[in-house]
Amino acid sequence: MNRSFKIGIFDEEGKFISSIKSLQEKEFKIYDVFTPYPVHEVFHLLKRKSRLPTAAYFFGLFAIIAVLAFLYYTSVINWPIVYGGKPFNSFPSFIVVTIVLTIFTVTIASLAIFSARSKLIPGRENTIFDHRATDDKFVIVVNTDTIDNSKSEQIAILMKEQGAVEVIEKEFENINA
Amino acid sequence: MMKKYWKSVEEFQGITAGDDRNNEDKYKNELLELFKKDFLSKNSSRRDFLKVFGFSLSSAALIASCKRPVQKAIPYVIHPPEITPGKALFYATSYYDGHEYSGILVKTRDGRPIKIEGNILSSFNGEGTTARVQASVLSLYDDARLKFPTSDNSPASWNTIDEQITNDLAKINSAEGEIVLLTSTVISPSTIKLINEFGARFRNFRWVQYDAISYSAVLEANLMCFGKAVIPDYHFHNAGFVVSVNADFLGAWVSPVHFIQKYVSRRIPDNKEKNMLRHIHFESGLSLTGSNADKRIRIKPSEERLILTELYNRIAAKTGEEEFPGVAGRTDLAEIADNLLASKGKSIVLSGTNDVEIQIIVNGINTLLGNYTDCIDLNRNLNIAAGIDSRTEELVADLNSGKVKALFMYNVNPVYDYPDSEKFLSGLKKTELTVNMTGSLNETVGKAKYECPVHHFLESWDDAEIIPGQLSLSQPCINPLFNTRSFQDSLLKWSGSSISWHDYMMTNWEKEYFPKAKMSGFQNFWDRSLGNGVFSYNISDSKPAIFNKEGLIRAMNSREKTGTDGFEVILNESVTLGTGMHANNPWLMELPDPVSRHCWDNIAAVSPADALKLGIQTGHLIKLADGLILPAFIQPGQAEGTVSVALGYGHTNSGPVANKVGVNVYTFIRIIGGNRVYGFITNELENTLKQSQLALTQVHHSMEGRPIVRETVLSKYRNNPASGNELHEEYESKHRTLYPEVNYDGFHWGLAIDLNLCVGCNSCVIACQAENNIPVVGREEVKRRRIMHWMKIDRYYSDTPDDPKVYFQPLTCQHCDNAPCENVCPVSATNHSSEGLNQMSYNRCIGTKYCINNCPYKVRRFNWYRYTNNKAFDFNAASDLGKMVLNPDVTVRERGVVEKCSFCVQRIQEKKLQAKLENRTLKDNEIKTACMQACPSGAIIFGNLKDRSSKVSGLFENPRRYHLLEELHTLPSIGYLTKVWNDEESKS
Amino acid sequence: MYNRKIRGPLIEGDKTFSQISKEILAPMETTPGLWWYITFGISSIAALFGFYAIYITVSQGIGTWGVNNSVGWGWEIVNFVWWIGIGHAGTAFSIFLLIMRQRWRTSINRAAEAMTVIAVMLAALFPALHMGRVWLAFYIFPYPNTRGPLWVNFNSPLFWDFVAITAYLLISFSFWYLGMLPDFATIRDRTKSKIKKAIYGFFGMGWTGSSQHWIRFESLSFVLGGIAAVLVVSVHSIVSTDFAVGIEPGWHTTLFPPYFVVGAIFSGFAMVMTLMVIVRKIYKLTDYITDNHMDAIARILVFISLIMGTAYSTEVFIAWYSGNEYEMFTFFRNRITGDYTFQFWGMIVCNALIPQLFWFRKVRRSWVGLLVVSLFINLGMWFERFNIVVTSLSKDFLPSNWVSYNPTYIEIGVYVGTLGLFAAGVLLFFRYIPIIAVSEVKSVAHIGNKKED
Repeated sequence: MNRSFKIGIFDEEGKFISSIKSLQEKEFKIYDVFTPYPVHEVFHLLKRKSRLPTAAYFFGLFAIIAVLAFLYYTSVINWPIVYGGKPFNSFPSFIVVTIVLTIFTVTIASLAIFSARSKLIPGRENTIFDHRATDDKFVIVVNTDTIDNSKSEQIAILMKEQGAVEVIEKEFENINA
Repeated sequence: MMKKYWKSVEEFQGITAGDDRNNEDKYKNELLELFKKDFLSKNSSRRDFLKVFGFSLSSAALIASCKRPVQKAIPYVIHPPEITPGKALFYATSYYDGHEYSGILVKTRDGRPIKIEGNILSSFNGEGTTARVQASVLSLYDDARLKFPTSDNSPASWNTIDEQITNDLAKINSAEGEIVLLTSTVISPSTIKLINEFGARFRNFRWVQYDAISYSAVLEANLMCFGKAVIPDYHFHNAGFVVSVNADFLGAWVSPVHFIQKYVSRRIPDNKEKNMLRHIHFESGLSLTGSNADKRIRIKPSEERLILTELYNRIAAKTGEEEFPGVAGRTDLAEIADNLLASKGKSIVLSGTNDVEIQIIVNGINTLLGNYTDCIDLNRNLNIAAGIDSRTEELVADLNSGKVKALFMYNVNPVYDYPDSEKFLSGLKKTELTVNMTGSLNETVGKAKYECPVHHFLESWDDAEIIPGQLSLSQPCINPLFNTRSFQDSLLKWSGSSISWHDYMMTNWEKEYFPKAKMSGFQNFWDRSLGNGVFSYNISDSKPAIFNKEGLIRAMNSREKTGTDGFEVILNESVTLGTGMHANNPWLMELPDPVSRHCWDNIAAVSPADALKLGIQTGHLIKLADGLILPAFIQPGQAEGTVSVALGYGHTNSGPVANKVGVNVYTFIRIIGGNRVYGFITNELENTLKQSQLALTQVHHSMEGRPIVRETVLSKYRNNPASGNELHEEYESKHRTLYPEVNYDGFHWGLAIDLNLCVGCNSCVIACQAENNIPVVGREEVKRRRIMHWMKIDRYYSDTPDDPKVYFQPLTCQHCDNAPCENVCPVSATNHSSEGLNQMSYNRCIGTKYCINNCPYKVRRFNWYRYTNNKAFDFNAASDLGKMVLNPDVTVRERGVVEKCSFCVQRIQEKKLQAKLENRTLKDNEIKTACMQACPSGAIIFGNLKDRSSKVSGLFENPRRYHLLEELHTLPSIGYLTKVWNDEESKS
Repeated sequence: MYNRKIRGPLIEGDKTFSQISKEILAPMETTPGLWWYITFGISSIAALFGFYAIYITVSQGIGTWGVNNSVGWGWEIVNFVWWIGIGHAGTAFSIFLLIMRQRWRTSINRAAEAMTVIAVMLAALFPALHMGRVWLAFYIFPYPNTRGPLWVNFNSPLFWDFVAITAYLLISFSFWYLGMLPDFATIRDRTKSKIKKAIYGFFGMGWTGSSQHWIRFESLSFVLGGIAAVLVVSVHSIVSTDFAVGIEPGWHTTLFPPYFVVGAIFSGFAMVMTLMVIVRKIYKLTDYITDNHMDAIARILVFISLIMGTAYSTEVFIAWYSGNEYEMFTFFRNRITGDYTFQFWGMIVCNALIPQLFWFRKVRRSWVGLLVVSLFINLGMWFERFNIVVTSLSKDFLPSNWVSYNPTYIEIGVYVGTLGLFAAGVLLFFRYIPIIAVSEVKSVAHIGNKKED
């Protein structure tokens, strides 16, 4: 089934923020907002959070252990070789490799998790509610499927009051996001 | 492995010599048999297939009865019982090229001679060999060898040539025309007998022996003084004091290996019963001998005579003998004279100058000192050379006068090394019948009517009597590669005899020497002699020679003027190339001169003082005479006013390697008083200011005060054996380590190098090159400092450039237990073995060169290019024939791979395996690295450091022992022993 | 917080967002001038020469270079270290200035990062080429194999190097690419042309600019930034261990890791400056890359050059103070005096002295001054690497091994080739990728402009 949205478009960060606030006062559920650059206030207002740093921490923990284990296995258990009178487990010279390989693993893992969670894959086309959002406009999107027309009109008015340059009514068949 | 000895080619090939045909048939038949067997057998395995495959290849060659060398050389299609593929056989034989002699063992693998070692049974040279002897195996596989007989420079069959020659001979003989045989010195008693018989068949025959480097004066002087035209043997091991003049007896003169062994046996500082030999050397150019002398005095050649006269007079004065007129100016001679007298009868005075009068004076001095009893032996003399200059002159004159009708030449190259080659050539043209018999391409080849190429010595039967009573045999170690024939067989053919040279020699031995051996049955005697390679019998000691003074008086009173104005140019024999006979041998061509450290050229060595005066720099092309422009080389220790130039270069027709390298200076030899004088006087050196880059392998000559070669003097050494080596203690005490030391159980291989014994002869370098398939890189690459030698001998100077002290230090991989190179290889291509070897796995190496950089000794080598099968490096590794010399036990390295000394790990493994099979522990000294085995002075000792009783462990206990750069704590497995100079005046 | 009175606005001339997008993306939406084609042509010719040299090297062998038995490493390693150093600019910019809250970085870091990626790729070319058997380079991967399995030598600095550079390349690339996502989206949404839309759409990965995207975007760049900070320090420290772990006189020095890192940032910033001086002129981006920005870089350079000077003198002092005769020789008789004086004093003058000109505001404000000095620094840093690699090897422990080293035209060719590739790469970057991080600039567009206060 088609889903309909009210899309408010602002050209200034301030108006955009206050409009979000007023919508939330009226307990309208904001579907999502689109900005040309990260606006931190929005994250607080919409209670957006990311657990990526935590994940990265555990990736790192895992990597360190794995790398050290690998080094020990290869150079002490699997095929011990004497280099320049050093013992098989010449730990100090393992440190460097451990650090770097850890970083390496963390990077790859975090990238993977990022692109998976936020569905950013080469060639993917996520729904664009208004294409100006990536240029110079601030966009608020409210889903109006569940609410009746009068209310949705009210949303439009609210946005206008807060100084939206325009408010559009759009319908989408299916949403990629 | 056990040395296996065999008796004759016939025996080990199970065929009779001479009839190649039915031996080939035999091969074919057995081959077919084999094919049948293999194809019918249902369960034919991979192995079978390979067998058939391999055989079909060789059979193709045989059935095509193709005469190309490679096929011919595929050994043992039916392999003889005593041959185990992959196991080496050693055959005792002897090396003599007309200039140098050695009793040798030839290592053959699958029928290919691949390495030459000294024959330990040969009392003449023992296991020691020179670089040239080591390299001679490569000349067997030289593309420049003559492959078939020619008449008028067009191929001809032996039969036709023999026919024509015998007819011509008959014609000439009937006309009483003179027939001359011109050979290099012949030391083979059987051959001499044969030559005499051959000559006896003609009415008018003359045999002239001719040496490129002549010892004529010594022979003539001894003839005059003692009635014997011989080169005496010098027993340095009996001498306490040696004074030598212009005689490089450790490098080139007469018989270096023979002398080195005796010499170093008296250079051991802590020899209880015999005091250390003190050596004083007079010379112009810095030679190997001069470098090793305790005291070196620079003289011009023209001063030699005066000095010797004065020396004679000073001694005569003390001994109450008659003195002769002569200036007495030099105080140093007084001291020397006293020393000589102090060690009366236990001293040697010798001169290398080819001047009869000088040699007579020397004989006089030695007689005064009574050295002929113990130190100089005229009875057991050295038959190394027999050429008398005047007879050659005579011959050349007769050739030109047309008196000579037939000239046979054997193993000589007068067109190259006779001073007036033009004259010789014109004479040659005037001669009706000219036959040249030589093994390899040289300038004389193609000048004679008939070319009758002879075998390489590794293909031929021969015998030799280097010292009266000391005989040795030569036996073929491989079937003749080409359509050649031994010189002796030719003579036999032309004298109409039907027996082979081999039989002739055997019968001769049966007649001459078998009786002396007191053995039952000739066959036993023959087998043993052939097996040992040597046979010696006692010759009756004739009474001590009586000195005939007439000669001396004449010599002393003849006032022949010696020009001293202008520069005196010395033409000396080079340690590496010798006479130049082997100049086409790339190993020798690339072997750096031990003193100047250059190769691929002959250079004009000028003294630093003169260089300063004339503004000459190393590399400047300077003009010594018309047609003699050479790159200058500032040689520390060169006597002022003299220039030294090496002989043996500047070939025009001796093969790709030798041609157009350097300048031939034989043409500048003058003939004075019937003797060839190796030098001339030029009025001024003209600096053309043109630059040429020399192929130098070492460009910095000072140790910069670093403790690299540690030295002391005998007097200090007596008080404290560790003198000069104090640093060792200090560093040992400072060594600390973060990690626990790796401990080795069983083996820990080590090498001790006694710098006091090493004379710097460089034969270890070639031995290593031959053993380890080390490529030759050529002049350009050497210039770019990319010489590949694993073992090199560094040479350092100290003191002043005018009068330097010289040090030699063999340098190869130190096999450090804390090897810096191992830590840095990213792919673990180099790492440490459980036996303390720093090992290099070529397959794994990706060539980052990090190990090369991190090696403080810089002994690792990199394959900058592909050196095999690469026409850009057209040396032995680029020709199918030349590659036959490769040692199958050692990998041939690919381009882009790092390589270095492996302590001859292939030899270690071989001996270990053998010991294991024989279920015993390894004996000390059983494993010998190539360098150790070749070293004439026994300066290099390899062994197991874990075995406290081993020789090497003993040397490591020696207070003289230190490690190179030990302050770096790399813990090398190579230990050096300090150099001890003898500063003590000898006492009787 | 940010004090406009002192620093002036970050972006000159109070601009609207669309204006920002338009001006920054202009180079991509208009066809470049003739100068672009000319310079691109020249650099491609240089690159071709480079490819020829590489072909000769690989087909004939390292013998075509001037290196020899004693000096195993020559120009190729010098250039390797040089490029890696330059490759430190981008990350250093993004990370350190990020950590130090220097928001003016936003208008430069994109270009800097692009430079980094290209430089590091070129740097990685040299270690590969200097292998005798480059076709077996894969031996350096520690992968299970049928040779035992024979692993690699984890003690070898060269292996550390390999790992570090791979990681660094990956991180700096992803960091760079991540920053470009929003901009690709911007282009995708602004452009009229179907092809561009498709291409940038593909690389844009479907970025919408939703709050979800932005917050994850920020936390990822936070994570990457964090670890990249470690890497920036570690990579060149590891490169320095190639020498510091060796025992050669002049190599075996504990000073090397910090010395190399600082040196790397020095050369990196210098290269950034060289580029920026030109770019802002050509593309008329002086409003975004303001004189203040260049001034700031100049200040950093003068400070680092003081550190370099200190490092050099410390090195020499320690050589003397240690009393180690080999060290003494290398520094006093083979660098300060001797065969390699030119390179040594060249290094001192270019790195320690000339940058002192930046004390003068006049120099910091004149684009000629900036360009000339930054070029000198690039040269000086090359001399520094030459000093370290070649002089130590040419005359080390045993005088018998002492040789001199001269490069062949093949070696030089490879270097010229990489310069060409670098130039070409940068030009393509100007042409097809926003030179400045649009979205980031927008976020700071008004700082220091009237609006804010």
